[in-house]
Amino acid sequence: MSLQILPRGKWVGARVKRVEDPRFLTGEARYLADLQIPGTVHAAFVRSPYGHARIRRIDTSAARALPGVLAVFTAEDVATLPPLASGLPIEGLKPTPQTVLAKDKVRFVGEAVAVVVAENRYIAEDAAELVAVDYEPLPAVTDAERAMAPDAPLLHEDLGTNVVYQKVITLGDVDGAFAQADRIFRRRFHTNRFVAAPMETRGCLSVYERSSGHLTFYSSTQMPHMLRLFLSLFLGIPEHKVRVISPEVGGGFGQKMTIYPEEVVIAYLGKVLGRPVKWVEDRRENLAAATHAKEQIIELEAAVRNDGKVLGLKARLIGDGGAYSFNTASALIEPLAAAGIIPGVYDIQAYQHEVIAVCTNKAPVGAFRAVGWTAAQTARELFFDEIARELGLDPAEFRRRNVITSDQFPYTTITGMVYDSGSYQESLERALELVGYEELRRRQAELRQQGRYLGIGISLYVEPTAWGSEIALQAGFPFPSHDNATVTIDPTGKVRVAVSVHSHGQGHETTLAQVAAEILGVSIDDVIVEHGDTDRAPWGMGTYASRSAVIGGGMVALAAQEVREKVLRVASRLLEVAPEDLEIQEGNVFVRGAPDRSLSLFQVAFAAYLDGRVRAEGEEPLLSATKFYDPRATYSNGCIVTVCEVDGETGTVHLDKIVAVEDCGTMLNPMIVEGQVMGAIAQGIGGALFEAMVYDENGQLLTDTFVTYALPTATEVPELIIEHLETPSPVTIGGIKGIGEGGLLATPASVAGAVLDAIWPAGRAIEQLPLTPERVLRALGGELGV
Amino acid sequence: MKPPAFAYERPQSLHEALEILAREGAEARPLAGGQSLIPMLALRLARPTLLVDLGEIAGLDELSLDDGTLVAGAMVRQRRLERDPLVAHHLPLLAAATRLVGHPAIRNRGTLGGSLAHADPSAEYPAVALALEAELVIRGPGGERSVPAREFFLGPFTTALADGELLTAVRFPLPSAATGWGIAEVARRHGDFALAGAVTLVERAADGTCARAAIALFGVATRPVRATAAEQALVGQPLTAETFHEAAVRATEAIDEPLSDVHGSAVYRKQIVPVVVRRALEAAAQRVQAT
Amino acid sequence: MERVPITVTVNGRRISAVVEPRMTLADFLREELGLTGTKLGCEHGVCGSCTVLWDGAAVRSCLVLAAQADGATITTIEGLATDGTLHPVQEAFWEAHALQCGFCTPGMVLTAVALLAENPNPSEEEIREALSGNLCRCTGYQNIVRAVQLAARHERADT
Ligand SMILES: Cc1cc2nc3c(=O)[nH]c(=O)nc-3n(C[C@H](O)[C@H](O)[C@H](O)COP(=O)(O)OP(=O)(O)OC[C@H]3O[C@@H](n4cnc5c(N)ncnc54)[C@H](O)[C@@H]3O)c2cc1C
Repeated sequence: MSLQILPRGKWVGARVKRVEDPRFLTGEARYLADLQIPGTVHAAFVRSPYGHARIRRIDTSAARALPGVLAVFTAEDVATLPPLASGLPIEGLKPTPQTVLAKDKVRFVGEAVAVVVAENRYIAEDAAELVAVDYEPLPAVTDAERAMAPDAPLLHEDLGTNVVYQKVITLGDVDGAFAQADRIFRRRFHTNRFVAAPMETRGCLSVYERSSGHLTFYSSTQMPHMLRLFLSLFLGIPEHKVRVISPEVGGGFGQKMTIYPEEVVIAYLGKVLGRPVKWVEDRRENLAAATHAKEQIIELEAAVRNDGKVLGLKARLIGDGGAYSFNTASALIEPLAAAGIIPGVYDIQAYQHEVIAVCTNKAPVGAFRAVGWTAAQTARELFFDEIARELGLDPAEFRRRNVITSDQFPYTTITGMVYDSGSYQESLERALELVGYEELRRRQAELRQQGRYLGIGISLYVEPTAWGSEIALQAGFPFPSHDNATVTIDPTGKVRVAVSVHSHGQGHETTLAQVAAEILGVSIDDVIVEHGDTDRAPWGMGTYASRSAVIGGGMVALAAQEVREKVLRVASRLLEVAPEDLEIQEGNVFVRGAPDRSLSLFQVAFAAYLDGRVRAEGEEPLLSATKFYDPRATYSNGCIVTVCEVDGETGTVHLDKIVAVEDCGTMLNPMIVEGQVMGAIAQGIGGALFEAMVYDENGQLLTDTFVTYALPTATEVPELIIEHLETPSPVTIGGIKGIGEGGLLATPASVAGAVLDAIWPAGRAIEQLPLTPERVLRALGGELGV
Repeated sequence: MKPPAFAYERPQSLHEALEILAREGAEARPLAGGQSLIPMLALRLARPTLLVDLGEIAGLDELSLDDGTLVAGAMVRQRRLERDPLVAHHLPLLAAATRLVGHPAIRNRGTLGGSLAHADPSAEYPAVALALEAELVIRGPGGERSVPAREFFLGPFTTALADGELLTAVRFPLPSAATGWGIAEVARRHGDFALAGAVTLVERAADGTCARAAIALFGVATRPVRATAAEQALVGQPLTAETFHEAAVRATEAIDEPLSDVHGSAVYRKQIVPVVVRRALEAAAQRVQAT
Repeated sequence: MERVPITVTVNGRRISAVVEPRMTLADFLREELGLTGTKLGCEHGVCGSCTVLWDGAAVRSCLVLAAQADGATITTIEGLATDGTLHPVQEAFWEAHALQCGFCTPGMVLTAVALLAENPNPSEEEIREALSGNLCRCTGYQNIVRAVQLAARHERADT
């Protein structure tokens, strides 16, 4: 397989406006909630108001009696459905099966206990209130460390513990490194639990045809094919009779890359009720019951030489997995991913990590953009800043002394990741230059004299991308991962690309069309990209983990290349020249050097399908190819620098600007790359300063509205300056690397780093994110700030 | 998140509205801009049996000047207070406070009366009314009465309005020409309810000292409160940074039951009160100097 | 509950209907009129996805009852483009890559339209302030701000 099949050209690398935009701009785009199928009935879930309670009895009679109500189901009524559990093949990981409706016990506020189906959502909510659940409240545990104590309340009694995984791994000569060190530093961070909060909540619509036994399931999911497989297994409907359609999806960021109990319930209801059943999650449900993310307690220890060289690291990572070790990738999804990336861009030769995953009475934890990596990056970068200052080194200089340099690629990290290529030091230097680092440091000192707190935060990162089988393994999650594209030229010469990766804002209809157009020599106006329907592509995994540019781009390139060869073979017969002497440009096939000897793609395609004479022996009439791609691991990188000012009297943070220099190899479309980076940065600002899921000690969720759970708005996001470096990957088709997650991977560290830098040394006291005005002011000493 | 069922009426006159309210009793709720009431319905935190839409009652949305008093009808939209030349000219404090209320789309519907009747302890208008010693005009089955702001706000979301009564207008006495005003708040995000805020009025005497001061705090106690100790500390003093500092520190004395929520604890809110007070006082002093 | 008769003008069309009192304007537009371009992102007035124009002013359609809209003139995202030609604000959003998943887009576009109608030459700060009641989780807002600036320039150039 040649990696060179995808050159930069007219389309690849161009800032092409998105072809999908008009339907979104005019309101024509249809998301799940917008689908209207005659006869549809509406579901509402009855959810636990307790963090931990035994279910004594459920009385559904009043709800059933309400006019307009069709059915009320509890765990008993769905007993035939198997429980959900993580299938991650990792030794020592204890499963915590989750029934699709809570049975006997509830383990977090928002857990679904029953479901009501009614003529409309208004009535369904009325009825849900009438379902009387008799709970016996149990003591709750909402702190991961407390949950590890022997006397802690148990979530899953049969396990006898809340700890679902615990393992220490030592890599390299850790004892030696710590013995040789001049200084040993320690630090603890508790990264906040925050959530994807896509603007569109979850939702699904189940349409079952009794006569054929065929289920059509619409869901706001990132992974239609995986959902199809699991629905088939759970409901006992053969896979070929299940079709999953994911219509327009209003953001996912990882939250929609799992199988949710609600989806299984709704699919089942559609089957047993014989009417289309629709569930559109409301925001309160989304905040309480869709997966949460990113909460870890990370303790770091570093063995450091006086010149700043880090000789070794130790990390203890406790992932607070919430009530269930969720099926996305278990409660390990955070701490295990974090453990792998703790060394990051730095040349670390000795490393020990202890990974612990714990259940608590909070919502289950799943994926959210840069899962695991955000917490690891935040802890390590803030730690390194502090070490630098303790050693009297500038944080930038400290990084220079430890960073992996470009002559070291390919570089195998102590944790087994193979960094293929990159520009780690270059991105650092460029970001510092762009922000005017030296000058800023001078200004910072000046302002400090006046009692003002300017801060600069540096976050230098590497981002594992191209989530295929190899990188999954390197990142600790041994699960095969690939996807496919079918490229077809129809008899009129137009191109259809059907893919199994999914787009929910990433702009695949444009970028993947750019790839096909480049290879097939057509305009992207003549290409359409189809996704989000299991009937269009045979199988696939979906979109997550910055994989769709690399895998999607690669698989479309492979399929398009094969189709191109077919076209040339047909044209070669028509033009009576060898295929090697032919060229396709702007929809015309012509003889190289003799552009007047040409045929339109229409003529060639038409002949291929309808003129048997042009077909070689054994050749099929179809101008189509389906190709899978499971790329080698490739790693993006970059550096994000934040400048902020802290109001020393109130603890509020004003962000001045954020500079991001990123390197994702070959860019298919820089405009889209920038969009990904900026969006992820804004989420990172949220994580650093605003967003946190807060539970009280009884397991009550205090942040279940957009009033209490605060997302950044246009006034909280400062000027973002994005610059690209382009180091093509030597191991992927076209040299593409992923770009989806770096912004959220690195921004919390950068923003928090800037704040801690501003108030140094007071920032030492801060252990917990986000940096609310209150936390900042408390760190500053808490004196009345008049 | 759909509202529970209720009936709806849209009376055309105040008289009719009061009759409906009297008939329905405590389960009826006036509906003004709906920007607080409808979210509460969606979250099913309120369950009225009847909503009485005040939107078409003639005369409730008037704005006029009456002998040194700005009279604003309860149904005057917040957006209008932000932009009306009358307000900008005579009571710019009210316009400035409005810009801190939510977002334009909220203010397009939200009303002055709705905000005051809702009595969110973190809201801006109640503190403005308190600082200006506004009179709240109330109509009920028994006729009209007028309640001074300091007697109107009783606690979180609790006012002197009785069931069946409507707030119809607010009378804001205009400050003297020698009075400067300030408003300062700390909020998590732009447009959020304040974690602590202060509205200040400072009147300068001929000798340049402070003749009168009013400081109203919001976001920190169960209702808007006047920081009387701080006010007293200002009177007769020169309008200097030191004076403001000393007064600001005393502002916390006014807070008996501090607010606390996920965005800021009671300790934090109390801690930043002197900061917002001082900033609002400085702003007021600057404005008085400018005149 | 007794249903309420209303007459509303939506996207230039006069519509008479009878609605349940508790039905929000957003649900009326979406469920009764099939105008699903108006999105529901939170249903408690914070996210701004359901923003529509009410007599030209931006309003959260989840925070008004359909019954209250009696007599009002409403413009939804579906009513913005004329004869297939995008409104300058829609054009600018496209040009500036101001949308990704598209869910907040109708509310953002209409908020921007209302802003430019009253302030054809807003500063960046004014734009950010005007948009601050609308949440977007994809773009980081910068391109949305640029789009509004671009639209303002185009509209000024046209007049
Ligand atoms: C996202 C968001 C952000 C916000 N941010 C802020 C903010 O920063 N600061 C702030 O102050 N507010 C804020 N608000 C609230 C907003 O200002 C409301 O408009 C205001 O609180 C209520 O006014 P309304 O006209 O909408 O009243 P409604 O919601 O209609 O009514 C509120 C209450 O007052 C009663 N009522 C209304 N009018 C009368 C009357 N004339 N007589 C008797 N009772 C009456 C109602 O029965 C109801 O109980 C915000 C709201 C939202 C949705």
